Amino acid sequence: MKDDADKQLDDLFALVRSEKPDTTRLEFGFETRLLARLRAAREPLPWFAPVWRYCPVFALIVIALGIWTFCSPPDFEMQSLANSAGDNSQVLEYFAGEQI
Amino acid sequence: MPTDEELIRSALEDSDAAFAELVQRHKGRIFGMVSRFFADSHQVDDIVQEIFIRAWRNLRKFRTEAPFEHWLSRIATHTCYDFLRKKQRGGTWVPIETHETELADLPKSAAAEAREILGRAMQKLSPEEHLVITLAELEEKTVREIAVLTGWSESNVKVRAFRARQTLKKILETSHER
Repeated sequence: MKDDADKQLDDLFALVRSEKPDTTRLEFGFETRLLARLRAAREPLPWFAPVWRYCPVFALIVIALGIWTFCSPPDFEMQSLANSAGDNSQVLEYFAGEQI
Repeated sequence: MPTDEELIRSALEDSDAAFAELVQRHKGRIFGMVSRFFADSHQVDDIVQEIFIRAWRNLRKFRTEAPFEHWLSRIATHTCYDFLRKKQRGGTWVPIETHETELADLPKSAAAEAREILGRAMQKLSPEEHLVITLAELEEKTVREIAVLTGWSESNVKVRAFRARQTLKKILETSHER
């Protein structure tokens, strides 16, 4: 059996149904707008458009390189050069390609 | 006058004019249906465009056993449901009072007021409840028809419709008490 709230709800629905929403203003020129959108959808994408899809991949590569650089063991040869502070001759020899 | 099936065949052969004719024939019903779900006119326009774009993309899948308008109604139902879900996720409901700003100052009919009250209450329903109550109570579809449109089983439709009514009653009662 329906209670008062049910009846009120049914009345509300009936009242809303009694007036069809007026969409004539929206329907005006709708085909033109739609066909313009369809034509745009048919046009092929420029060659560079898919590149944007790979942005997350590029970002991951950069992050991975950053982590790898940060975690990789230090270059002991360069470290020893840095430790011998003040001795420029060793640095010059190193960059000249001569064996230290 | 060509039938819908003839227009579809022409549209599949890249005839924009044939597709435009199909749109012309069915847009009124689709606009009417979508505007039962959404009050914002810009959104209604967007959704109806989306429905016809989906129809155009899937035109090859249309089987002529069922009328085109049934197939289109199914697309419309699924599109409305998608937008309801998207809206709930985004939580960007626009208050109904601020829609149609140019009409806001005009005196409202009882039906318009009822639509506003119901619209506000329906915003609090889940997308499933919103969909089923709109189809059942505003579009006056039968349980069987709703099941076909949504792809849910008939018992599922009944349960969801019942729950939606209960929720709506509670919402309206609470808003009445305030």
